[in-house]
Amino acid sequence: MTSALDRWNPLTPLAAAIALVLVAFAGPQPWTPAAVLALSLAIALASGIGGKVTVLTLLVVVPTFALLVLLDAAFPEPAAETRWIPSRAGTLDALAISLRLGAAIAALGVIVVGVAPRRLTRALAARGLPAWAAYLVIASLEAVPDARRRAEDVLDAQRCRGVAVGKGTGVRGRLRALPALAGPLIVGLVIESEERALALDARAFDARGKRTALAPIADPIGEIWARRVIWLALAAAIAWRFWEFAHSLVIAQVSRS
Amino acid sequence: MNTGARALSLRLRSVSYDGRVALRDIALDVGRGEIVGIAGHVGAGKSTLALVAAGLLGRSMPATIDGTIEHPLGGRPPAAFAFANPSTQLTELGETVEEEVAVGPENQALPSEEIRARVDGALALADATRFALRLPRELSGGELQRVALASALALAAPLLVLDEPTAQLDPGAAAEFASAIRSLSDKGAAVLIVEQNLELLAALADRVIVLADGAVLATGAPYDVLGRVPPLDARLGSLRAGYSTPRGRRTRAVDAEPVLRVESLSAGYGEHVVLDGLSLTVDAGEVVAWIGRNGAGKSTLARTIMGLVPTRAGHIGVGATDVTSLPVHERARVAGLVFQDPRRQLFSRTVLEEATFGPRTLGASRASALAQAREALLVVGLGGRESEHPGDLAPQLQRRLAIASALASRPLFLMLDEPTAGQDAEGRSFIRAALEMQRSRGAAAVITHDLKFAQDVCDHNVTITHGHVSHIGTISLETDFSAR
Repeated sequence: MTSALDRWNPLTPLAAAIALVLVAFAGPQPWTPAAVLALSLAIALASGIGGKVTVLTLLVVVPTFALLVLLDAAFPEPAAETRWIPSRAGTLDALAISLRLGAAIAALGVIVVGVAPRRLTRALAARGLPAWAAYLVIASLEAVPDARRRAEDVLDAQRCRGVAVGKGTGVRGRLRALPALAGPLIVGLVIESEERALALDARAFDARGKRTALAPIADPIGEIWARRVIWLALAAAIAWRFWEFAHSLVIAQVSRS
Repeated sequence: MNTGARALSLRLRSVSYDGRVALRDIALDVGRGEIVGIAGHVGAGKSTLALVAAGLLGRSMPATIDGTIEHPLGGRPPAAFAFANPSTQLTELGETVEEEVAVGPENQALPSEEIRARVDGALALADATRFALRLPRELSGGELQRVALASALALAAPLLVLDEPTAQLDPGAAAEFASAIRSLSDKGAAVLIVEQNLELLAALADRVIVLADGAVLATGAPYDVLGRVPPLDARLGSLRAGYSTPRGRRTRAVDAEPVLRVESLSAGYGEHVVLDGLSLTVDAGEVVAWIGRNGAGKSTLARTIMGLVPTRAGHIGVGATDVTSLPVHERARVAGLVFQDPRRQLFSRTVLEEATFGPRTLGASRASALAQAREALLVVGLGGRESEHPGDLAPQLQRRLAIASALASRPLFLMLDEPTAGQDAEGRSFIRAALEMQRSRGAAAVITHDLKFAQDVCDHNVTITHGHVSHIGTISLETDFSAR
């Protein structure tokens, strides 16, 4: 899969995404997360992955908002007279939390959907990510498609032995087929995990030193500076936020005394 | 050959897994530029010896090693290893084949130019350059085996340890592989190779070690050790076992109804057309070999007959039934397919339960299923192991169990995909017996690169090239592994 983000060194969108997430949580509420959410979706749209990122965000945000509103309605403040009617304050809180979550999902979703994992691990390896960690990242991302492929192989083998699956099989038929389908899948995973550990040893995964790459990912000077600016701005924002917090504590202390 | 410096020096009193001794009293030196072959029956300890030699055992795979393992030439790593199952070798860190092959040198932190040179060199040696930019998961078993080999070669270790490296290669690719290994050894690499193909081993190795039940049975020049009649170990067989006379295609009775009828069959994956208007028949009582280069479409043909790959055009008939539009489980009543990897199907608690699963699923009574299963297990040499857990069997025995399971279902037409990979002489004779039984019940096809087995067992061969039948005739055994 390719996206417009492939034009960049993957570390640049990653840095931007992390910065956006921190800003969404640290900035004034609820306008900062709303702005981050809008910006992330705009970037996703411009990169040709708007649909996927929007769906991913909605899948998390809508149930979260609904659940929080429901909780507020089910367990109202002791002073409230009505039950099962969400309060205005509760709804605004739910909206604020959901917006923050949505901003984080959308910003990180751009990376998950738009940056090829192998490009990302190569770029991270160039920064010193150990080979085993790169493998862990890829193995985690490939776990689902890998399990799906494995399951398809098992399914094929058992269908050739007469196991009926799919339409018209019925619940009993499906239950009867379950051990034949799940058994080889689970046993295979256990055995192959042992073999995989051997294979990693055999492919020099225990070698020391920074991993290199067959085709190193370009990291233009402009992007290096862009990341520096992002990190600096982020550090400044966090420092300002701490200063503001410390300042409010001092003021509170002074007014109390 | 320069054997002045040693790449491997092993002195093992024993190697055991959970207290079970797998190897004992082994002394083995492999010199620079030397090719040492390891032969032995299934379960003799060959793969364990290979793993120990590569320094892999006792790390992530627990084992107790009593003895010393030295790699005097050093190197990081001191040994490269290619697994018998090529998919084990692949890390998936690389998107394409060349990126996968590059994983080892990348871990070694080599400069990009050197990685490129290593990758290109390894792909060329393994005859895999033409699919350098393809995705590994799209390759056939034989093509994957070349990628696995290239991955090991790319490490440029002083010692190369290969476990059944040609099990899934077509004869042409195996001969090219042998020549590549020789050129590597001429350049000074030490090679330790585990192989069931005695002809290849005899032509390739400078010295052969025969293992039996975890100990060295004999060691010496290949033809002296492997060519003895009677053989050193009946389970292993002998180079001079001789070839059967080709049977040739039987004269068909005018009114004979073929067991398998494939007419103008087209099939493929996505936009990739694999079978292109293929037609063939297999008559009752015939056992045929479907041969051809890796990726020619042999396995796809079997999968299409079973309905696992959709038919785009053409017709498939098994016996009197046109199965073209039947679902897979309905086709299983008349046709059977045993896959290359038996682990994808074994799930029962005992060998007997596993073999009864097929007939029971297809509607046989418990008593009939048990009788059919016992008969099939006896034929493949698993008669006394009915209560064992399938997972405890060696991979070669698991393969025979998968064949027994298919045989027990009594299909009219049975297809076996690379049944002899990794099998010793004893295993091959059991598979032959299974095919003879199938011959008496209907017909069978064997997808194989093992031309000797094909000549011994099959009536004739059907060569598949680029998705269509290019030749039907007797088996040719002219592949010359010794050609330099």
